[in-house]
Amino acid sequence: MTTVAADLLREVEQFLYAEARLLDERRFHEWLELFTPDIHYWMPTRSNRMLNDLDNELSKPGELAYFDDTLLMLRGRVARLDTGMAWAEDPPSRTQRLLTNVQIDAVEGDEVKVHLGFLIQRCRNETEEDLFIGYRDDVLRRVDGGFKIAKRKIVLGQNVLSAKNLSIFF
Amino acid sequence: MAAQNGHQPNGYNWDALVQAEEGLVSRRLFVEEEIYQRELEKIFAKCWLFLCHESQLPRPGDFISTYMGEDPVVVMRGKDGVIRAFLNSCRHRGMRVCRADAGNAAAFTCAYHAWTYANDGRLIGVPNHQDAYYGELDKDQWGLVPVAQLDQYAGLIFATWDPAAPSLADYLGDMKYYMDMVFNRRPGGSELFGGTHKWTMPCNWKLAADNFVGDMYHAPFSHGSAIRARIATLERPEESLRGLMQPQMMQVNPGGGHGMGVSLIDQGANTPQAFQHPVLRAYNESIRAEMEQHLGVERASQLAPVHASVFPNFSFLGSGTLRVWHPRGPGRMEIWAWVWCDKDAPQEVKDVQRVQSQYNFNASGMFEQDDGENWNQCTVASRGYVGRRQPFNYQMGVGHDERMEQLPGWKGANFAEINQRGFYQRWRELMSAE
Repeated sequence: MTTVAADLLREVEQFLYAEARLLDERRFHEWLELFTPDIHYWMPTRSNRMLNDLDNELSKPGELAYFDDTLLMLRGRVARLDTGMAWAEDPPSRTQRLLTNVQIDAVEGDEVKVHLGFLIQRCRNETEEDLFIGYRDDVLRRVDGGFKIAKRKIVLGQNVLSAKNLSIFF
Repeated sequence: MAAQNGHQPNGYNWDALVQAEEGLVSRRLFVEEEIYQRELEKIFAKCWLFLCHESQLPRPGDFISTYMGEDPVVVMRGKDGVIRAFLNSCRHRGMRVCRADAGNAAAFTCAYHAWTYANDGRLIGVPNHQDAYYGELDKDQWGLVPVAQLDQYAGLIFATWDPAAPSLADYLGDMKYYMDMVFNRRPGGSELFGGTHKWTMPCNWKLAADNFVGDMYHAPFSHGSAIRARIATLERPEESLRGLMQPQMMQVNPGGGHGMGVSLIDQGANTPQAFQHPVLRAYNESIRAEMEQHLGVERASQLAPVHASVFPNFSFLGSGTLRVWHPRGPGRMEIWAWVWCDKDAPQEVKDVQRVQSQYNFNASGMFEQDDGENWNQCTVASRGYVGRRQPFNYQMGVGHDERMEQLPGWKGANFAEINQRGFYQRWRELMSAE
């Protein structure tokens, strides 16, 4: 790996870690500042298919998704948490996000395509515990010398989600 | 009340457990394993259950896996174009024959011993049929176990394991009149988007069905966060708050344990319809004349569907979601959810309906998250020795139900538990049958 590539990877990783920490610390308004206005935040559904039909494993654009959000919709989710009536997050989830296997797939103009694995432990109430494990494909865009998130695709391994909700961010 | 404190010598005292007319339902219905096992027999193996929408099986060979109760079922369109449904289990040793959620196949070969079934359910291949079975196994007798009856209404495919069950049309009864407001709005009918939301809810399945069948009462408080957030950030008019806090609606009980909450849209703006995305509101206005032609003025311009359940475990909303509550024991269910739209709608409208519906209702849904929190903890808090000896209270509006003159069925106020009482009456009738 060249020095330039190593520096870029380190910068990307530090950006992603800082973002994850904002979410773990429930600093949602600061988190919203990390997105470009054209963000598409998307978690397709994952169905159980035979090997000869794997092209249909993930739902496609235009089909159902667990998240299919614009920036306005993400703001709506944060506004919901701010109302004091978001019962599924009060008491709140206690989360720890672990990001790993970070790879830069491509650098195109001012955008960096990043692939990574994540493990999120979410504990809530007395004994509820969920592990959300999967991968993300992020597109980070250079804005004012730093990064913003321009696109995020989130893929979980589960077909039937074992969690009772997706009340946290990924 | 002795029956509420324990078993009767020869089983349950159903009339004591479910005093539906008085609005009292024992919490034992929601937590006890023995009652749950009887539900699998008396309800899930007797009633017409929703399987899928015909738009999910457009081509011969298309199949989809689902469940009827806890029994895995595969629904397939044969090469003759006919849709059939079978227990998804090999007749030889019980192995699951179809192991994918969906796809297209001419035949299913069991992965255990390679018995092979055509996509019309016939057993067409048995290895070593001549030398091991001496040619004596009658393949005609060992096809996949079919459902007893399968039928569709407005593109919705239902099946029952009970050969003596009434027809689907009779089972749905007057509910059909109200279901048309969702699935039969335009001549082309409805369709579902691809993909399925599936997740697990640690609650008794009836809590979800009873919420969708008749509970508008929870909306202002349970969904207070989603309502306020949408008005604050998503350009919904301030006055639409009233449409959800004190809406102009009625609860309709058409019988059969089914029910729907219906907006009285001709009585002003204070209905959940005021909360719709502007694109959907404009679309609904644009098809109003056609709907009046197609469905008549009552169901096009006076009433609009909000929430509904078809007994026992099929529920939907006028805004787009539909789902099955698959039971998984007394304290757990799987939610399988889809989004419907008018087949004839422009693509832009379909896209808005899909995105808006799942933004509100799915595992991540702005509204749905808070529903699940309630159903989960209703179940958990009723499990203990003392807790399960208390009844749930369904007394809202007891004695105030009215038989409608112009429309089929009975009605209650917007905030009324008429439909839940009807749901549990039907449950008791089935559970107490020999």
